[in-house]
Amino acid sequence: MTVLAGGTDLMVELNFGRRRPEHIVAIDRVGELAGIERNGHVRMGAGVTYTRMLADAGSQALAEAARTIGSPQIRNAGTIGGNLGTASPAGDTLPVLAALEATVVLRSKAGERRVPFADYMTGPKKSVRRADELIVAAEWDEAGPAQTYMFVSTRNAMAISIAGLAMVVDRARKRVGIGLGSCGPTIIRPADAEGFARGLFDEAGWERPHRPSESAAKELGRLVAAAARPIDDVRGTAAYRRHALAVMGARALSRVAQIA
Amino acid sequence: MSEFSVIGRRLPKVNAWAHLTGQARYADDLFLPRMLYGRLLRATRPHARIRRLDVTRALAHPGVVAIVTGADMPEKMGIMPSTQDETALAVDKVRYVGEPVAAIAATDEDAAFDALSLIDVDYEDLEPIFTIEEALEREDVKIHDTSKRANVFKEVHLSFGDLEAGFAAADHVRDDWFFFEGNTHAPIETHSAVASYGADDKLTLWTATQVPHYLHRELEKVLGLPRSRIRVVATPNGGAFGGKSDPFAHEFAAALLSLRTGRPVKFTLDREEVFYAHRGRHPVKMRIRTGVKKDGEITAVHYQSFLDGGAYASYGIATTYYTGALLTVTYRIPAYKFDGVRVYTNKPPCGPKRGHGTTQPRYGFECQLDKIAVDLGLDPLEYRKRILQPPNSRTVNELRITSMGLGECLDALQRATKFSEKHGQLPRGKGIGIAGSAYISGAGLPIYWNEMPHSGAEIRIDRGGGVTVMCGTSEIGQGSDMVLASVTAEALGVLPEDVHVVSGDTSLAPVDLGSYSSRVTFMAGNATKDAAMKLRALVVEAAAEKLGVPAERLLTAYRRVYDHDDPSKFVTFTDAAVLAESRHGTLVAAGSYKPPKGIGGTFKGAGVGPSPAYSYQATVAEVSVDVETGTLTVDKLTTAHDCGRALNPANVEGQVEGSAYMGYGEIVVEEQVFRGGLHKKPSLLDYKLPTSLDTPALEAIVVESVDAEGPFGAKEAGEGPLNPVIPAIANAVYDAIGVRFDETPITAEKILDALGLRDNRRVTKDRIGPDGLGDGKADPKRALRRLGATTDARERKTVGGLRPPAPD
Repeated sequence: MTVLAGGTDLMVELNFGRRRPEHIVAIDRVGELAGIERNGHVRMGAGVTYTRMLADAGSQALAEAARTIGSPQIRNAGTIGGNLGTASPAGDTLPVLAALEATVVLRSKAGERRVPFADYMTGPKKSVRRADELIVAAEWDEAGPAQTYMFVSTRNAMAISIAGLAMVVDRARKRVGIGLGSCGPTIIRPADAEGFARGLFDEAGWERPHRPSESAAKELGRLVAAAARPIDDVRGTAAYRRHALAVMGARALSRVAQIA
Repeated sequence: MSEFSVIGRRLPKVNAWAHLTGQARYADDLFLPRMLYGRLLRATRPHARIRRLDVTRALAHPGVVAIVTGADMPEKMGIMPSTQDETALAVDKVRYVGEPVAAIAATDEDAAFDALSLIDVDYEDLEPIFTIEEALEREDVKIHDTSKRANVFKEVHLSFGDLEAGFAAADHVRDDWFFFEGNTHAPIETHSAVASYGADDKLTLWTATQVPHYLHRELEKVLGLPRSRIRVVATPNGGAFGGKSDPFAHEFAAALLSLRTGRPVKFTLDREEVFYAHRGRHPVKMRIRTGVKKDGEITAVHYQSFLDGGAYASYGIATTYYTGALLTVTYRIPAYKFDGVRVYTNKPPCGPKRGHGTTQPRYGFECQLDKIAVDLGLDPLEYRKRILQPPNSRTVNELRITSMGLGECLDALQRATKFSEKHGQLPRGKGIGIAGSAYISGAGLPIYWNEMPHSGAEIRIDRGGGVTVMCGTSEIGQGSDMVLASVTAEALGVLPEDVHVVSGDTSLAPVDLGSYSSRVTFMAGNATKDAAMKLRALVVEAAAEKLGVPAERLLTAYRRVYDHDDPSKFVTFTDAAVLAESRHGTLVAAGSYKPPKGIGGTFKGAGVGPSPAYSYQATVAEVSVDVETGTLTVDKLTTAHDCGRALNPANVEGQVEGSAYMGYGEIVVEEQVFRGGLHKKPSLLDYKLPTSLDTPALEAIVVESVDAEGPFGAKEAGEGPLNPVIPAIANAVYDAIGVRFDETPITAEKILDALGLRDNRRVTKDRIGPDGLGDGKADPKRALRRLGATTDARERKTVGGLRPPAPD
């Protein structure tokens, strides 16, 4: 059995004849999946569309990522649950969920389980979700405004990112999360880069904005690029992806560190 | 006050409302009783012999009604009568992945689609050829047996003036190679056709075509059905750009399947299929040698082009000539030599795309002029102004130039953009560039040799003051119906909304050769004006008698015929028409247009290039380059365009802006990528076109040179404005970062490569582009040497080509 929410991925598969499921269940009108709860902790129902995330995401980086996706029509249809279900390394919300250290909530007749995002994806379009499980929500702790999402692409809309980078600095919890998209089989967390950034904030003070030095920003970019495992494909080369990640890492740090 | 009542006004197109509200009826919107749905089986091999083709299993599939294959339509066809190398469906051999092999008609689309996989095709693979270099060299592999040398489709050599003396007189010679990447039209509407063979023993084909008349001829040839029993109706095209100007497999298949089944049959291509139908911009490698004096005056140009034609001829013979023909009409060139070679490769056939064959050389030449300006320390805008081909002159290749507004375009651009103050003065990463161009207002010759008009129009005035204009033009979104309505309304003194336009119908309307080569405004406009002026004379004569005023004192406008000296003396257009019909009988008149003789040379190959008038245009591009990510942002494109006279300024500006958008896409992102002959991006997700979020600010400046022969002075506006955009952007990128992009597209990766940021070796480059032929396995030097040898031996003795116009 296949579930259909926004259909922005599934319908492509059907139209190209790559999949011919026996049964399809549309879940786009299941109200329980479409809610967003916020009380310091965010629970975003799997049926929340990208358009809704623009206005009410519980994460600035997630709103920025949602804005990069497709066109207004696609944003009106596509959902966060769909992005998680497809589990493509190019899914634009996924680097943000990684950086937020979000939890994926899965439910089946056997009950509910909560999977940290870091354990959720296992490969390109592969996840630990079992066939009998429905993605019901993603959850994370609100991390404050110091966060951003950046991407490079051959055009500004209706494109699959060549490389994407999310950075979240949770000043209250003294935590830095970085997620890299389209540059490996899964979303990558560059541990060295995160550690280096934590050191910078330790030095500058977590509670107030600062302007990182050019050399610090560059070093962070270098560490980000070093963690990536990109490939050459029709959209871009591995070398270009690595270079773009380094620039985006540096720019993301400069931007985010200056946000209170 | 304007001397016109309709011309020059910003009126909405007559069909705008229907298009805006979704009520325009495209071919795919047609549903007929008992209609069948068709699908094409397409080849999965780039180059293979068809050993066996068995449709038995597919025929047995529920819902399938009929299947046809290449054997049912073996007659050779193709748009150019002299190079017909296609069949409606593949016969014996396939030459590119996606080539139509068989066609199914079924009771519904799903049945037709499912049955495709039940057709058994046994292919014997042949070695494929994918590059220009291999095609030039490989004698052992023949894509078409007709190629005399390797896989050369066409080789042309033309020489004018004393080239050697020109180069000898030069103080400075530049010798540059360029590569223009292939790209495709990507119209919003995919190709669609509905055929219906009726009880009256006649076949009607409604189809999204730019060339209903040429298609009519090919249907007769392939189906063996007399043209008198075939009617072609060009439905409104949802964009075409040259991509719907060949006869296509689905059109023949729909027709034959309808003949066979006695039921209407519809084919609508899906997006992927449009990438295979293609006929888009040829990838072209070019070498340009230009000699100049110290002050920049050109002494000689030697231009060579190598065109990757794909698997079939299409318009290729014309494309080949066009790469060389129009370089001469913008700037003074006293000596000129052109060598052109088009080869076959195992890829979807290339053909005409907006700017047909002139876009690639214009890119190379305008980039080279920019280099010359830098070499000589000249301002690129002022430099161009100094070397303009004068109006009312002949080019070195014998093309007649009449009105010529390129100088005014350059002046307008300087006023609008302050180019000369900014060029070379902007901070690193910011740049400004300029380029000029020209285009034909319709080809001087039809594609088949005949002495008949290029365009015919028929106008009828009804008793209620309504006017019907009938003309074989095809409305492809460019505004051709509005041109017919505007010209008719202006001439008769009514308003465009009083005019019913019947276009693109081979039974109802006189022949117009079609919506290609930017010919409609000039040629159909003149034919329509000719017909309208005949009726105007009758109406005015009747009014003159009624008013007791001499006919020459009467004017017509706003549905009145009135006295110039006393406008209160008038009769309404309707009353005047009733009087005229009472006197002369039914008010019908026909008009026609044929380009004048002697507008081109008489040498072999002179058939491509002449036009009754040339449009001129220039673009200034302003860009920003992110020197860390390599991202190129085009901030603004300003194009000044000499369209003779703007029949409708809003429509002209729309064409100029649309051209700027399209040219922008071609240089920043579009590319055809193949792997083993397989198109890697046959979708609008992966074949990147700019979106509204990417598109630069666009400004159009209309320049009016008022052409003496154009209808009310008008020339073309649909294609020329694309050409200068591409080199203007490349020149602006040079101004921004000091890197020459002698190949398209200019991607972020190439910019990073030039800036030394692609890898850790940090090697910077001041130029990205080819150094000659030679990316394939072939020996380019040998190919070139051989080309050089034939060039010298065949000076001015070009083989084949279009028949030249007869001398006066």
